[in-house]
Amino acid sequence: MASALSLNRLTKRFGSLTAVDSFSLEVERGTIFALLGPNGAGKTTIIRILTTLLRPDAGTAQVEGFDVQQQGKEVRRLIGVVPQENNLDRYLTARENLVMQARLHGMGAAETSRRVDELLELVGLSGRRNDFPDTFSGGMQRRLVVARALVHRPRVLFLDEPTTGLDPQSRRAVWEYVESLKDSMTIFLTTHYMDEADALCDRIVIMDHGRLLVDGSAARLKERMAHAHCYEMQFRANADRYEAILAGLPFVRSLQRTGDLFRLSLAGEEFLKPLMDAVGTDDIRKVCPREPTLEDVFIELTGREVRE
Amino acid sequence: MFKGAFSIWKRDMLVLRRSLFSELVAVVASPLTFYLAFGFGLKGYIANVEGVPYTVFMAPGLITMTAVSAAFDESAWSMWFHRKVQRTIEAYRVTPITVYDIVIGKIISGFTQGALKGVAVATVIFLLTGVRFDPAHLAGYLAFIALGSMVFSCAGTVCGTLMDKPETIGKVQAVVIMPLIFLSGVFFPVSSYPEAMRAAVMAIPTTALFEGSRRALLAGSFDGGLIAILAVTALIAFTVTVAIFNRKMAE
Repeated sequence: MASALSLNRLTKRFGSLTAVDSFSLEVERGTIFALLGPNGAGKTTIIRILTTLLRPDAGTAQVEGFDVQQQGKEVRRLIGVVPQENNLDRYLTARENLVMQARLHGMGAAETSRRVDELLELVGLSGRRNDFPDTFSGGMQRRLVVARALVHRPRVLFLDEPTTGLDPQSRRAVWEYVESLKDSMTIFLTTHYMDEADALCDRIVIMDHGRLLVDGSAARLKERMAHAHCYEMQFRANADRYEAILAGLPFVRSLQRTGDLFRLSLAGEEFLKPLMDAVGTDDIRKVCPREPTLEDVFIELTGREVRE
Repeated sequence: MFKGAFSIWKRDMLVLRRSLFSELVAVVASPLTFYLAFGFGLKGYIANVEGVPYTVFMAPGLITMTAVSAAFDESAWSMWFHRKVQRTIEAYRVTPITVYDIVIGKIISGFTQGALKGVAVATVIFLLTGVRFDPAHLAGYLAFIALGSMVFSCAGTVCGTLMDKPETIGKVQAVVIMPLIFLSGVFFPVSSYPEAMRAAVMAIPTTALFEGSRRALLAGSFDGGLIAILAVTALIAFTVTVAIFNRKMAE
């Protein structure tokens, strides 16, 4: 199958920081592709290069066969972009925002009118077409940004953290639109939400420090963790004390906490007994094995420390 | 060619149309206050200036000042707002239009706003004060206003492109733009400067603008040297602005 995106040894530096480090990737047409990584991993830099907003220092990148540096205008004709932050024009109504996008893509008046009305209907904003984006909720603004990116029927849609800051209902709504687009275009998304990547994407790449770490489907990535020994532990009391103990154990490879519930993976089955010796049995409410998640893979590969 | 620039200009005009009345009221208030305060308040203390009453002498400068200040303000704040706050410049940049479309669209928007607001102030001054000019002089006067608005629109666009903090734009207005305007002959003739300084003062593009536009409107004399200074300045300003914007966008 032909590639929609082709990155070859792409490199971008900001001063002494190498944001993208000799990054190579092929994304097939018609797939939903997710690029995951912690803050500062280089995801947004890659999107900015692919959407012609940034020039790479080395390497090449092509979108639908067009070089992003030499054929920027052709690339921009084919792409739709949903940036991290809503960059709607607050002095234009919802409808005018979409009409402006159509004009910038050189669409004719009749086609613009038809397409804009169709998209407003699709994202459930036709009743608010003449309202200004400032009067919309975060979810509605996000849906309008997605609609704007689709006005000119792009062949590749870039979504940079499309659901960050949205409530669960709005997230689901955005997921539904994205899924409905799957057959008509290639979708390239970055996200911090593992469940989002798991639910939506055919293929996932996890990157960190500008480099590709793993590449595969969600199922294949989770298989990598099959050898990992994942457990859930719940404590009746003193959860903070137990968190400190668990974090200090050298054989605990990943640790996530939700209230008094801990999800952890061990370096090997033989460490279960030392684990129990370390925490004792006084406060334990529950210990049970569990299936690895994409988040386990992510934490395993990118580490536990919080990034700026 | 430049369809993108036209789309951006059209967008800016749509937004201006929505708030046209309040914009015009705001823009007329300041020059009218100057006119009333200086023109009438000081009337008894100032004799004719260069052969005309002081109220007539200062009217062309006030109209020109309104036009070029509006061109600077619109370009600077609009570019800054679209780049830093609303981030619509980034939305434009992922469409097939070029950075030249964006900067040219914004410069022309600033220029249009300047010209419109200048006309509004002129209308009010003509209606309220009884100052009258020969209509035949208007073409020459408008040539100066058009070039002056272009220069100030470019200067505003550069500020909005390079400055990330709004207070920095405010400082440029206070320290550079206002002195340039006020010291270039809005309220007094260039002949007030010591003779040794006059040639140098006349070579400053803003003096060429205010002095040239006044002479064009009051006396109907179209000074080729002054319009040439202004035209060259506008051309250089335009080229430099486009280059600066292009470079900033490539960062």
